[in-house]
Amino acid sequence: MFDFDATLPLMAVQFLLLMVILNAIFYKPLTKAIEERGDYIRRNQVEAQERLSKAETLAKQYEQDLAETRRQSQALITAAQADAQQIVAGKIAEAQEEARHQKEQTQKELDQQKQEAMRSLEQEVDSLSRQILDKILGARVA
Amino acid sequence: MLSFIATPDFPLASLEVGQHFYWEIGNLKVHGQVFLVSWFVIALLVIASILATRNIQRIPSGMQNFMEYALDFVRDLAKNQLGEKEYRPWVPFIGTLFLFIFVSNWSGALIPWKLIKLPEGELAAPTNDINTTVALALLVSLAYFYAGFSRKGLGYFAKYVQPTPILLPIAILEDFTKPLSLSFRLFGNILADELVVGVLVLLVPLFVPLPVMLLGLFTSAIQALVFATLAGAYIHEALEGHGDENEEH
Repeated sequence: MFDFDATLPLMAVQFLLLMVILNAIFYKPLTKAIEERGDYIRRNQVEAQERLSKAETLAKQYEQDLAETRRQSQALITAAQADAQQIVAGKIAEAQEEARHQKEQTQKELDQQKQEAMRSLEQEVDSLSRQILDKILGARVA
Repeated sequence: MLSFIATPDFPLASLEVGQHFYWEIGNLKVHGQVFLVSWFVIALLVIASILATRNIQRIPSGMQNFMEYALDFVRDLAKNQLGEKEYRPWVPFIGTLFLFIFVSNWSGALIPWKLIKLPEGELAAPTNDINTTVALALLVSLAYFYAGFSRKGLGYFAKYVQPTPILLPIAILEDFTKPLSLSFRLFGNILADELVVGVLVLLVPLFVPLPVMLLGLFTSAIQALVFATLAGAYIHEALEGHGDENEEH
């Protein structure tokens, strides 16, 4: 059972030979393949991570832009409404003013005419009353 | 040493231990049956590797996938023993140890070599020959001495007297017990497994040996793992040295 002979060194040499051969056709190429795959995956992952973060930044940017635009449009609308309000108020005030003015003018004219009429009426009254007086007392006075 | 000759009807059921199919090379004797099966194992490994790396894809499939799994396994094995920093150059050695022993053991257990008649001796796992296991164990010894010297030069000897010179004899003894235990553990397990299966097949040819055969497959795998792991542990110890870690072997 324990007969040592040339099998021992030959087996050792054979084993070393096998190791060298396997190193060339098995360990090296497959290790390289595995490591390249690892690199590839890592690289892709980093790239994808970058792209994702970029996309997220862009999305955030758009969100911000959108919010900004929305705020601007809101402000614009508010301003326009305020303007319109102001214009309306101004126009109303103007119209009221004009109406008042016209009313006043008319009133004034009316008053004037009334006074004129009164005055002419008074004159008439005067003359009439003199005539009446003349008629009644005419002879006496005259 | 011991041999049962079974009835001729059962060519599978015979046991021969200590009989070898000798080849003479010059005036050297070698065990032919060990080399025949080891060449089969080597061919298997080489063919599997060629199939796996013939057309390397980024997305592995088929044989490449399988061999990448095997490579990952031995890489993890080496990494666990040697650490992330040191393990790379040692992967071929430890990995080949594991693959060679594992495929040897399983080929011995799974392939009915006894159907192939040899003039003398029988085909079996190469690892059930003490020459093979001692060769591998001595290579492990050389490997860890190489690791120690290439790392620390002659300072490697400091580890023999490092905690205290009193342990010097034990430290020296360790260098002998390491390959001894490595080789005999593997040799004993595989040979014993084949003997148990052989004896059971001899006694009860059908079904009864199956659980023992399954157990044998399990032990074979474990022994390959143990051998490779211990080789890694020894190399790690030589690289680190100075007893700053206390591994139990």
